[in-house]
Formats: sequence, structure tokens, C-alpha cells
Amino acid sequence: MLRPGRVKNSDVSEDESMSGKAFIPQDKLAQALERLKEKIPVWVPVSQGADLWGVEFKPFMPGMEPVMDRQSTALPKEVIFPQVQTLMTFQYVKDPENPAQVELKLEEARGAEEVLVFGARPCDVRGFFTFDRVFMDGPFVDNYYKERREKTLFAVLVCEEGDDACFCSSVGSGPADKAGSDLWITPVEGGYVVEGLSERGEPYVQLLGEPPSEEQVAAALKIQEEASRRKVGDLDPSGAVQGQKDRFEDREFWKSMVNQCLSCGVCTYVCPTCYCFNITDEMRHSHGERMRSWDSCMFAGYTHEASGHNPRPTKRERYRNRVGHKFSYFPEKYDGMIACCGCGRCIRSCPVSIDIRKVVENLKEKADARA
Amino acid sequence: MFEAETKRLHELVKAVLPELDGIVGWEQGFDALHATPVFVSREEDVHRLMWSPLCVHNLSGYLVKTPPFLPREEGRKVGICVKGCDSRSLVALEQEKFISREKLYIFGLPCEGTVDWRRVMKKIPLRGVSAVRREGTDLKVEDARGVHSLPWEESLARRCLRCAHPNPLVSDVLVRDPVEPRMKKEDVYGLVGELEQQSLEERLAFWSAQLDRCIRCYACRNACPLCVCQDRCIVETRDPKWLTQKMGTSEKFMFHMIHSVHLAGRCTECGECERVCPMEIPVTLMKEKLNQVTRELLDYEAGIDPEAVPPLLTFNPDEHQM
Repeated sequence: MLRPGRVKNSDVSEDESMSGKAFIPQDKLAQALERLKEKIPVWVPVSQGADLWGVEFKPFMPGMEPVMDRQSTALPKEVIFPQVQTLMTFQYVKDPENPAQVELKLEEARGAEEVLVFGARPCDVRGFFTFDRVFMDGPFVDNYYKERREKTLFAVLVCEEGDDACFCSSVGSGPADKAGSDLWITPVEGGYVVEGLSERGEPYVQLLGEPPSEEQVAAALKIQEEASRRKVGDLDPSGAVQGQKDRFEDREFWKSMVNQCLSCGVCTYVCPTCYCFNITDEMRHSHGERMRSWDSCMFAGYTHEASGHNPRPTKRERYRNRVGHKFSYFPEKYDGMIACCGCGRCIRSCPVSIDIRKVVENLKEKADARA
Repeated sequence: MFEAETKRLHELVKAVLPELDGIVGWEQGFDALHATPVFVSREEDVHRLMWSPLCVHNLSGYLVKTPPFLPREEGRKVGICVKGCDSRSLVALEQEKFISREKLYIFGLPCEGTVDWRRVMKKIPLRGVSAVRREGTDLKVEDARGVHSLPWEESLARRCLRCAHPNPLVSDVLVRDPVEPRMKKEDVYGLVGELEQQSLEERLAFWSAQLDRCIRCYACRNACPLCVCQDRCIVETRDPKWLTQKMGTSEKFMFHMIHSVHLAGRCTECGECERVCPMEIPVTLMKEKLNQVTRELLDYEAGIDPEAVPPLLTFNPDEHQM
């Protein structure tokens, strides 16, 4: 049912000739990343303070210690789809001879460098498949997105740290999903076994460490096999497309599901598949920039029309849109692909612990009742 | 955990439910480490309500934020569960005439502190949490790997470690016996004092590092029961335009300053802004500083006396220190 996006550069190859491997001892990880950074800018998951639980992706600098033992709070989405991105800069220039004559100078802010995201999880990468369909697959190609997408490599961790909010296996992925990855990192006793998955990822393997021992390779294989057998989450989203339609005008249902929502933007800002954006001109005196910034369908200003009307006046309609977009409208438009990677961040980070799985399950009940 | 109190809560709710247009309380969330707010209006749903140190949310915001949780008819009431800190928000909202006391039936829950799940996870990475309970001075957590133990004090939210008002200041009924305050109200600004020992440069570095993490999700604003401008927040107005969409620390600092200054002399220090922050920024600290100033200059503590007028909502030439 799920169809990964088309990213030519990181097609996963099963070709054995490309399976170069390296072992990074746990205490040499920072050094390995320093070597890597000599060749390509690297983003890593780091904690910004000793007493913080949360982890963010930041450009790697010597001295940083990557945190690999838990899912990040903030996303590597930032690397490809920054929270704010300048699309162009502009300037009004007066002709000194004729001040009434004003010329507008525009400069497009394009150009992306190749980067590698180290230590992302399968869900982080899968999020981009949703983006790909919208930003690259249709009649209009978003070049700002495309150039960054194509220049970003992912070294993805076989995921062992799922918690009760995770449900990646329910939406077509899983803890050992390697779709979209260029390098595969398997945590083993004392360190990590890294292997190349794509032509572009392959050359970086040898930079990261010495070839692993046979035991390490065997241990990695065992962990990969265990992870691919593990089912994370038990949501069955199959009835949601119809359920959303049946429940669309069921005000009491939406009220009962999301009355506790605070209408803040957390769920959307920590979501690997949320791609809604705003465009604003930020101007000062005669110059400024046109910027794209993350929007959130949870905010009151979302779809607030110039007339003053908002078709989604309260949090109930707004949350309905969030669920519908991910589990109903998107799969309907894009061959059944669910716009959710099951990372569970919206559940975990929600200030009032709203559980999107519960909403989707309940949508389905009505669909089941129809059948 | 806290089964006796939860049972008592159920009895008390059942006794008055026919007179209420619903009650807002807490129920079990997606795992045993999380509760979630719940609105109950039918007797068969009363069993969902619970009380435990995981009932972290201040529910008073639901009375004022769109769409407000209010009685459907004149003369009726809605029920609300409050801890000591939450009750101060009710007092502040009543002072500012956002709510009327006679429309509320308040279930008061004297509180020994709420658990900060992130602190717990930091100490013990948990998977498949099935039960959480307090045993003496320990928090016991059961997960897929067994039973883990953590000193109770190390599991509590920062706001709870500096709590001077654990017992509800307003209530119609108390669900459990009052508890001893952890701190005297004179001592609650310890962390503000510590920060002020630092040089200006150090403090700037501290706040820059903290605010750099802000993702501008506005959870702090939306969770604040006293952020009553709601959808008309100055942060999002386009004309006049106070803030750009940029992500620089100065933009974020400006937002948090606006939030703090709007709460000067009003903030009841429930700590919700800090609790809900996904990036763990100690944003309540800014409001604590302003409250400390309010106390020193105006001898006022917010959310204590329903009859008092918050000092910035009035003019009194006799104010000491004026």
C-alpha cells in the first residue's frame, strides 16, 4: 500500500559488491565523525544540556558527542526543509538622477551543499517520502526542496529504542526499514557496524573505521534480523480513508477526540511529514527577503482568509484536518500512501498527550459499522 | 497508584454530577507515565477520571480558551479538578472577571508534586511503561524490562520542587487531606537569585543557549491559563508587525519577553509554560523574575486573594516603594 518516493540518488541496492563495512568503537564515534566532516558537512543528534532529555540535530563540530540512544525531539527535517528559508532577497534602488524612478532588484537564494545526516532513524527518513510526492512528483517541482533533498545523504540507525508512542510498523515502515538510506548503522556491543547502501553512501564507509570482525558482522546481522521481525505498534489505519468521510460532520466525535487540544504547534513542528508552510516578505527600509517558514494547521491563523472567514474556526476543525490529511486525503490522492511515518513524536511531545492512533482507530469504527 | 484518592474522587463526582454540565479532570494517557485531560458528563464515564502525580496539566485554561468549557445554562455549574497551583489560576481568572466562581464546582486536590516524565526518562530509559507508583521516598516504574526505582524528589518537575501552595486556595470539596508546603513563599525564587549571581555576559549566554532551542510552537503561550488574548496574540499580528518569521534568538527572545511582560503581576507560577515546552526551555523562570520584582515593589502575590486587584490593573498612589 505504501509506495516510497522516487529518490534516484539513494535507491537501495542489494548488490553485495557495494557492501563495504566499517566498525566504529563507541568511544571513537566523535573521531570518526571528525574524519567524515573533512569530506562532507555532517548533522548529528546532540543534546544541548546535561540535564535535558531532548535531542536535536545540529551540524557536527569537534567536541560534540552524538546521542544515539533515543529518538530526537527535534527533527532532521530541518536539514532539507528548514523552519525558515530565504527564497529570494530584494531591494528597491532609487535612480539618483530621477528619484521617482525605482528599480527592484531580485536575487534568488538558491544553492545547496551536499550534507550527510548521521544517526537519523528510519522514521526520520520515511517522512521525506511524503514530501517527495508533493514537492517533486507533481506537475510543479519545488526546486528549493529538490536541490536540498538530492544533496542530502542519510546514515540511518537500525532502531532499537522504540517506546509506547512508536507505531512505525503500522504505517508500512519498521525499525529496520532502510528505504531512503545511504548508510546503515547497526548498534552492536561496544560500537556500531556501518555499511553502505547506496552508491553515494559507499565511499564514506571506509572513512568511519576499520573493517569489522566476523563476530561484529554476525552480531549486526542478528540485530538487523531481529529488528526487521519486530512489529512496532498495532494501529490498523486501513479504514481511515472512509472513516474520515463518515465522521467529517460528526461534531460530537471531534469534540470528544480533541477537546483537550491546546491549539499549539508542537505536533506539527515535530512531525517528519508535516510540510505546510507560510510565505512572508520580511522587509526593512528598502530591502528585504521573501521567506518560507513552517506553518501549522493547529494555529488559528491557518486558512484564515483575507475576508476574515476561516473555514476551520476552532481546534476541532483544525485537528480534523490534521488527521484527515495524513490518513485520508493524502492516501486517496497518492495511491494509498499514508502521510505518517509512525514516529510517535506528536503523541510524545503533545502537552496534553493526545494520541493520534486513538483518533484514527475511532474513525474506523464508524467505517466498520457501515460495512 | 493513589487508588484511594481516585476512588474518593469518583464518589464525590457522582454525588454532584447531575447538577453539573460536565467536569474536566484527568484520565490515563497513552502509557502509565502520561495522563491526559478528559471531559466527563455521563455517570458511566466517571470511572475514567483519576488522580495521581501524573495529573500534571493545569485545567483552568479550558474555562477561558476557545471554545470555553462553561455551563450551558444560567444557574448551572461545571466541575473542575485543581491542584494547589491550578487553583491560583482560577483565583487570577476570577479577579480579572474571565470566570465567575458561582459557575464552578471545584474539586480540590492537595498535591505532593507532579512527575516530570522527561526527568524520569533521562534517569531510566523506559520502554512499555505499564505501571507507575510511589513507594515511600521512591517512584517505582514498571516497564517491559522490570521494575525501576527513582528517588521521588528526582522525578518531580522543577515547579513542584519550589512549591509553596500545594493545597487548593479555592474549592468546594477537598478530595484528600491537605499536605505540608514544600517551601515557604519567601524562598521560592532561589534559582532567580542564583542566575543573578552571574555576570550579564554569562546570563546572556545562558538565555541565548536556552532560547536557541525554541521552535516557536507557542505551546507555552497556549498552555498558559492567563494568556487570554488567544487568537489575537500580538506575536502573530501582521500590522503592526512586531515579530518576523525569522528563527534568530532575538526574535524568540522578543516573543518570550512579550509573554513574560504580559504576565507581570498576573502569573501564578503554575509552570505550565515550562512543562509543555517540547524543547525543555525553563521559560517560567522569566516570569518568576517578574513576580519577584512585583513582590518586592508592590508587595503582591498573584492568584491568592480573589478580592484583591492585581497591581498592574489599578493605580494606587499609596503603594509602598512607589
